[in-house]
Amino acid sequence: MWSNVKTLTAAMVLLGAAGLQAQDVAIPAGAVNINLPDNSPLALKSFTMADSRATARGAALALDLHMSATLRNNGANRIHGVTLRVVAQEVTLGGKGSVTYPSLNVGPGETFQVRIDMQLMRPSQVTGAPLVQVDLDGVLFQDLSFFGPDRLNSRRLMTACEMEAQRDREHFKRVLAQAGRAGLQREMLESMARQSESSQLAVSVKRSGRAVTSAATGSEHDAEFAFLKFPDSPVEPLRGMARISGNEARAPRIEVRNRSNRPVKYVEMGWIVSDPSGKQYMAGSLPSADSDVILPPGHSARLLQETTLNFSAKGQPVNVQKMVGFVNQVEFADGKIWVPTRQDNALLLGVLPPSAEEQRLTDIYRKRGIDALAAELGKF
Amino acid sequence: MEHPSQEVLALHAGGDLGWMARWKTARHLAGCQQCAGEVAAFVELRDMLPELKQIPEVAWNRIAADMRGNIRLGLAAGECVRPSRQPERDTPLFSGARATLALASVLALMVTGLVLEGPTPRMARANEPMVQATVNGIQSRSGDQAFGLMHSGASSVTYTVGAQGTLGARYTDPETGNVTMTKVYVE
Repeated sequence: MWSNVKTLTAAMVLLGAAGLQAQDVAIPAGAVNINLPDNSPLALKSFTMADSRATARGAALALDLHMSATLRNNGANRIHGVTLRVVAQEVTLGGKGSVTYPSLNVGPGETFQVRIDMQLMRPSQVTGAPLVQVDLDGVLFQDLSFFGPDRLNSRRLMTACEMEAQRDREHFKRVLAQAGRAGLQREMLESMARQSESSQLAVSVKRSGRAVTSAATGSEHDAEFAFLKFPDSPVEPLRGMARISGNEARAPRIEVRNRSNRPVKYVEMGWIVSDPSGKQYMAGSLPSADSDVILPPGHSARLLQETTLNFSAKGQPVNVQKMVGFVNQVEFADGKIWVPTRQDNALLLGVLPPSAEEQRLTDIYRKRGIDALAAELGKF
Repeated sequence: MEHPSQEVLALHAGGDLGWMARWKTARHLAGCQQCAGEVAAFVELRDMLPELKQIPEVAWNRIAADMRGNIRLGLAAGECVRPSRQPERDTPLFSGARATLALASVLALMVTGLVLEGPTPRMARANEPMVQATVNGIQSRSGDQAFGLMHSGASSVTYTVGAQGTLGARYTDPETGNVTMTKVYVE
């Protein structure tokens, strides 16, 4: 637990860094407070902050934190996902983040390692509070049950990841059963090729309106979304648009209809943009508002966000020529999650990134070979 | 009958016409007493001019010789008083400084043109809260305060953007082998 002595030590170290201009000092482990509830299925076994440094830069302190912790599963269920909430004290705006570890498979009594690398820029005036507070936001178990305060909607995120993981593991196990290791190897090579060929946009997001004045950015106009409709999707997009000006898109809004027979409480649309040459990029996702609204069967609702997105690639602006939307995730009122099938996603090959599980499995194949991958699939 | 002009008759009398014009004029004179008389008058006049021819020739020759001598004298005097041959300019037309200045001016013109006409990435105002990807992480920042989650050493990173104001990164941690998903928030 956090103690006054540790707090005082951390404060003195940081004051020293502020006094020694352009020099850096080590940050003690006491500068970070890890808070796990007493009834948590996770226990902190060890924690280090090796090579964490504080450097004075003018009137500010630059903090480079490298945290490594070993956590133990103290519960009775296998853990398939963990989300930690990371809050930087004294960073008044935007000092919040999360670190999620999906695709875990940690049995009762087993341990696993997590790492958090952070950089903070904050005023050099130091108070007695810890620099960083790390809280448990949620733990997802194998049976999709959940533990935690879920302040960051980590239950939905980890459940969707788990649904995708189950879908992709089943696919690769089926390939292994039908085509053997040669067939699985071929699948892995194709996946790795897709991952290396896909182009990513650099996107910056902000809450307010346009980044600069219209005189510098050209005229703004409404651009309609085209939609890719999946046959088994419980929600269908009806119409949508965003305000476009060059490489900037703002205020996206899409109207959707619940065509299932179950009430829906969350919808997330995938958003693809094309540049003037026709090259497509995964631009982001458009979720329904944070405050969940129940969408009864047959009813329509509008997803909208008052944010502005700027797109660029390799340092050059990517002007938005066309936009395509598709239903990426649906959460029903009972907490069940729908994600597209691999057949649905096949329509977007080369644009959609692989799932977290596919990324993990290709990494196992890349580093340890086909035998290790087959053994890993056999664990589930 | 068309008679040759007075100039042609005068030139014929002096033997200064070309062969074709001389033949034509002689043919006309054979049948025209009037023109033949004119030519005879021009021949008679030429016979009276030997003295007149000599006077201007002598005078002009002498004056020309004097002028040529004076010019040579002036050039020789100039060569005597000049210590050595001087270049036409103190410095070469394109010295290092001048060339640098010219190149800098051209460069400034090109940069100005690119800035005014080129596709400039939009830059957000520094004080506005925003999330963005950095060289090896994702970051939310506002003014001089920043919060970043890093993925140093990760070979393949997938970024996910939430239009509600989030930016995420997904990668395989090179040390633990765990798939790790980080996310930062605009506010």
